[in-house]
Amino acid sequence: MIEATQETRAGWLVVAVKGRADAETADQLESALRSALDQHAKVAADFRALAYISSAGLRAVLQAARAAQEQNREFAVCGMSDPVKKVFDMSGMHHVLTIHGELPC
Amino acid sequence: MVLDGKLSELARLTAEAERFCREHALPVDVEFDLHLALEELFVNCIRHGACEGLTGAVEVRLALLPDAVALEYADRGASFDPAEAPGPDITAPLAERAIGGLGLHLVRQIMRDIEYHRVDGWNRLRMRRPIPPEGT
Repeated sequence: MIEATQETRAGWLVVAVKGRADAETADQLESALRSALDQHAKVAADFRALAYISSAGLRAVLQAARAAQEQNREFAVCGMSDPVKKVFDMSGMHHVLTIHGELPC
Repeated sequence: MVLDGKLSELARLTAEAERFCREHALPVDVEFDLHLALEELFVNCIRHGACEGLTGAVEVRLALLPDAVALEYADRGASFDPAEAPGPDITAPLAERAIGGLGLHLVRQIMRDIEYHRVDGWNRLRMRRPIPPEGT
């Protein structure tokens, strides 16, 4: 289960993601982030309510970051819980993503 | 538990791991890592190990030890030792990031004492996730 809701805050389109980003829900996550990138020049993924992420979820975030680069958009990830952040760190995502602890980005 | 080789079985695997962790009141980070290891192994077998479509493709067992959770995982897929899988380049720039290899890299990072055996057409893996002493 994964839910994504949009809100504009301080010049960013914030996509708040709730639930689990696993192999079954990764496509939904990627669509939600890509759809936001089609609408706005600055997109932040708010992961405060993201309970879990696997490599499939990471790939969805990576694909969104690539789409942002191709479309010349700003893309950031914010508010990860410690276990989710650990998965990002182990995968070296900080080399390719803008990661913020707090909102707004 | 026994799982068929289809992605929709992931929900059942997740529910079973959650039940085990609740039953033994395991810390949140231990539960997270068990979910991660199980998903990566299971999904890898379906996507790359020829488990897709096999009935009874995967067997999983979790057991509580005094200071760790023991995870036993077996599948009937192609012969595959995760210790020998090449690791991804986690420092590559965005455009060059490979999409594969990340899942098993995560398993090798979070689990300890990973043992692999190929037995009678099955890949059999045993590993442990240590449980940190309370208050640390």
